[in-house]
Amino acid sequence: MSFRFKLIIGALLLTAVVASPQSDEKKEPVFTKDGQLVLPAGYRSWVFIGGPITPNGLNDGHAPFPEFHSVYIEKENFRYYQKNGKFPEGTVMVKELSLVQGGGHSDGSIDSASGRGYFPGSLSGLDVMVKDSKRFAGTNDWGFFTFGHHAPPYEAVANESSSKECASCHIAFVAKTDMVWVQYYPLLKTKID
Amino acid sequence: MRKYVAMLIGAAVIAGYAASNHAKPVAAQTPHSSAQFTADGKLILPKGFRKWVFVGAPLTPNALNGGQANFPEFHHVYVEEKNLDAYLKTGSFPEGTVFIKELTRVLNPTFPDGSRTEPSGRGYFNGELNGIDATVKDSKRFAKTNGWGFFTFGHHPMPYEQTAAESSVSECAWCHIANVSKTDMTWVQFYPILRGDKLN
Repeated sequence: MSFRFKLIIGALLLTAVVASPQSDEKKEPVFTKDGQLVLPAGYRSWVFIGGPITPNGLNDGHAPFPEFHSVYIEKENFRYYQKNGKFPEGTVMVKELSLVQGGGHSDGSIDSASGRGYFPGSLSGLDVMVKDSKRFAGTNDWGFFTFGHHAPPYEAVANESSSKECASCHIAFVAKTDMVWVQYYPLLKTKID
Repeated sequence: MRKYVAMLIGAAVIAGYAASNHAKPVAAQTPHSSAQFTADGKLILPKGFRKWVFVGAPLTPNALNGGQANFPEFHHVYVEEKNLDAYLKTGSFPEGTVFIKELTRVLNPTFPDGSRTEPSGRGYFNGELNGIDATVKDSKRFAKTNGWGFFTFGHHPMPYEQTAAESSVSECAWCHIANVSKTDMTWVQFYPILRGDKLN
């Protein structure tokens, strides 16, 4: 193969890479100079993996995470997990909280047309975890952040939570599953097309 | 050398054109809906809905509904982003909008109300996937039921049915007509994102 031909093939390959579709592009987490995490953008369009609920009404009025937990992850990281059984560097998981609609039973449930149960009320907070094995080597490669447990607007940046606040519980219970409570998220094992 | 440079530029232009053409979705040429029907009017199970926008997850546990909730038990609701954006702008969903509600059971109940205790507290956690319901907006096809058709692909673990006949009015539409006909047949009151709550 001539040098000229190699050059042309190289140019073709390079251009194809540059021009390839960007729809699955994932974004890296953004930190400020002093190590605060910037509130991720666009997470409501990521893949939803599950929505556990710990109602205040079943937790003496004060659930640690009140009350619905809607968990989101980027599509590329979701797919990587399905293939490899662990999350890639730079993975961001977002847990957005919402309160239940009140005014019903003492357990926090209400009666609605579809039955008795729990229905999302107002949004009430945002927690995030980020995988970065260098930055968070002391807590099994993941850093934990909260942008407030209250209605939006959430804080724009967040300091890393202390190990006692978040990481300790993940280390104690889910260190073997890459620090994520995969047992609550059947969708992680499900094809998304 | 000049000749080689010209050839390289030419090759790059051709490759760039080919790649950009390749990136264009074919369906973008015509108004696109995820609702595809068979010749006899059955809805084909939409693909890829798990990466649509998730709008909320009500929960009606069996244990709080005499052992048999109508929709057991978590209801995960998805809609495509373009249709969500149109709704937020105009207050109604575009023709061809598809909503998917995927059900999951709760994870191994230990209390009589169906809840269990986990490190994050007492509550309900997602168990096995348990069924798919869909609504489709098509004002011609479903003129008799306020412009929406209702379908179920089974309330059971996967695999789901691949096609579904329209559900009868008494199964689905009547309840939407009775309760949410003013909000385009959708229970927007249960979904903070649809309700227009202040978001970030």
